[in-house]
Amino acid sequence: MKSIYTLPQLIENVARASPNREAFRYLEETISYSELHKKTDQLASYLISIGIKKGDRVGIFMNRCLETSIAVYGILKAGAVYVPLDTAAPLHKTAAIINDCQISCLITTTTKRRKVDTLLNEKSTLNRVIGDTLKNSIPSVAWDDVFSIELDDYTPPTILEQDLAFILYTSGSTGMPKGIMHTHYSGLSLAKIAADTYNFNPDDIFGNPAPLHFDPSTFGYFVSPLVGATTVIIPDAHLKMPASLSALISKERITVWYSVPLMLLQLLHSETLDKHDFSSLRWVLFAGEVFITKHLRALMKKWPNARFSNLYGPAELILCTYYNVLKLPKKDEPIPIGNVWANTEYKILDENNNDALENETGQLAVRSATMMQGYWNNKSLTEQSFHKVTIADGYEHIYYKTGDLVKLNNNGELLFLGRNDRQIKLRGYRVELDEIELTLLKHNDIEEVAVLVLGKDEEVQELAAVIKPLKGVSINLTYLREFCKIQLPSYAIPKTIEFMKDLPRTSSGKISRKEIGKLLEEHQL
Amino acid sequence: MKDKIVSYIKGNLATESVEDIDINEDLLGSGLVDSLGMVQLVLFIENEANIKVSPEEMTIENFTTVDHILKFIASKNKDQKQA
Repeated sequence: MKSIYTLPQLIENVARASPNREAFRYLEETISYSELHKKTDQLASYLISIGIKKGDRVGIFMNRCLETSIAVYGILKAGAVYVPLDTAAPLHKTAAIINDCQISCLITTTTKRRKVDTLLNEKSTLNRVIGDTLKNSIPSVAWDDVFSIELDDYTPPTILEQDLAFILYTSGSTGMPKGIMHTHYSGLSLAKIAADTYNFNPDDIFGNPAPLHFDPSTFGYFVSPLVGATTVIIPDAHLKMPASLSALISKERITVWYSVPLMLLQLLHSETLDKHDFSSLRWVLFAGEVFITKHLRALMKKWPNARFSNLYGPAELILCTYYNVLKLPKKDEPIPIGNVWANTEYKILDENNNDALENETGQLAVRSATMMQGYWNNKSLTEQSFHKVTIADGYEHIYYKTGDLVKLNNNGELLFLGRNDRQIKLRGYRVELDEIELTLLKHNDIEEVAVLVLGKDEEVQELAAVIKPLKGVSINLTYLREFCKIQLPSYAIPKTIEFMKDLPRTSSGKISRKEIGKLLEEHQL
Repeated sequence: MKDKIVSYIKGNLATESVEDIDINEDLLGSGLVDSLGMVQLVLFIENEANIKVSPEEMTIENFTTVDHILKFIASKNKDQKQA
């Protein structure tokens, strides 16, 4: 087979070799590689006809559905850059992103009509909508009209691997979203390294629960086509109803599952894992958050035939390290994030960005083929996030500083110790908020916990813990305080302890400590 | 019960402002209610209808629309009477 350099070649390759192979599936709907190849040519042709040029940004505003695959590859084939927008975000924030990267064309589906109508009331650079016909508004075109385009006059543009492919926006800690730029090269590198690491093959069926704006979606959309496999797009409804999700994973005979730990935890608690057949599951991959070891162990017992792997990487790198959990963890210690995978190297930096001493904790900096190009329209932030090592005049190695604290264990594996900014000074003591969380999790009745600092000035700052007890358990506060006294130094005991039935989440499923902090500051708990 | 559920969703859970919620409107797929909202909705229904929803009953068939929820509550009440 010929070498490939760009993401659209992933689809072309399989469409040529096995045209009828199923590329994506969404409930009863399905699309083969050859159909996907043709429909994405039609979308690309339409985009070029309305004046979209190489490097232009095109927005995708959709729930998980089959059309997402057409949107992603259609935009890429036109030489443009896809920008997935979180449909659950407040619309003024979505408009801010649209304006930040000057999106003129938005791709959507009819199910989002109400939101798109409201979005168009916001001041933005949008001047066209694809995927729904709108009344009294900017020009729009339905999917069926795109799919009836004749391709006789279509000439695809030349795309290089260095060209931009997609921009992922994440909410920065300052509130202004950051647009992480990835190229065809970084996306394709991810696909190649992941496929080699886990030996994926054409018979695999990937379960894709990640929304497009969240970087794990690269597995379902890029890794799976590279090996000619099928991706099952998980509907939004199933992610809210764990018992149905459990039935779906079994029914679709999914072999590769990749999600945040939260979804796996919900599956475990759905009490349905004994009812279905999960023998098809080969790999269960998780990333994005720490998977609490006691929960992981319980899940591994339910799925003894699957192999489990802990992946790590900020969206700026997509992924960079992995750790295969080969046997049941004996102790409750957090599992390592492991070693860097292929085409990747790292450094551990001290507070002054010098190489940390051996066995010391420091910030992880990574140099890899999957590294972002930089932040869109934000050169200073890009410069700040890089660590440059000059090899010779005019030639340097560029590392991305992850902001995460790590150290090596005795086996030479990396341990994740929390965010750099989660290590704080409290009345002179160095306090690791993530370590307090891990300590509280030793309590048998605690399912999840978020520890944070309240108050802006250092003199009045205090620690607060918000706890989600195991379902049906009520925790005695006096006993819990005794537990804290035994387990934690006095300065690290949270002054405020509150309980919640469930913790607020970001749209990607991570615990939202920002939201919890807001609720606490406003005395709403 | 229908009005109670609709007004609770409208007032406490809806992720966008809506004038009314049709009993056949897809609450899950439309994104009108997010995951945390669904947990709250289940708790609300447990209290209001005085039923217990087990984890296995957290399914699309039982919770996609207000109509589904009403039918689910009715079937639970029937089970309780028989028991």
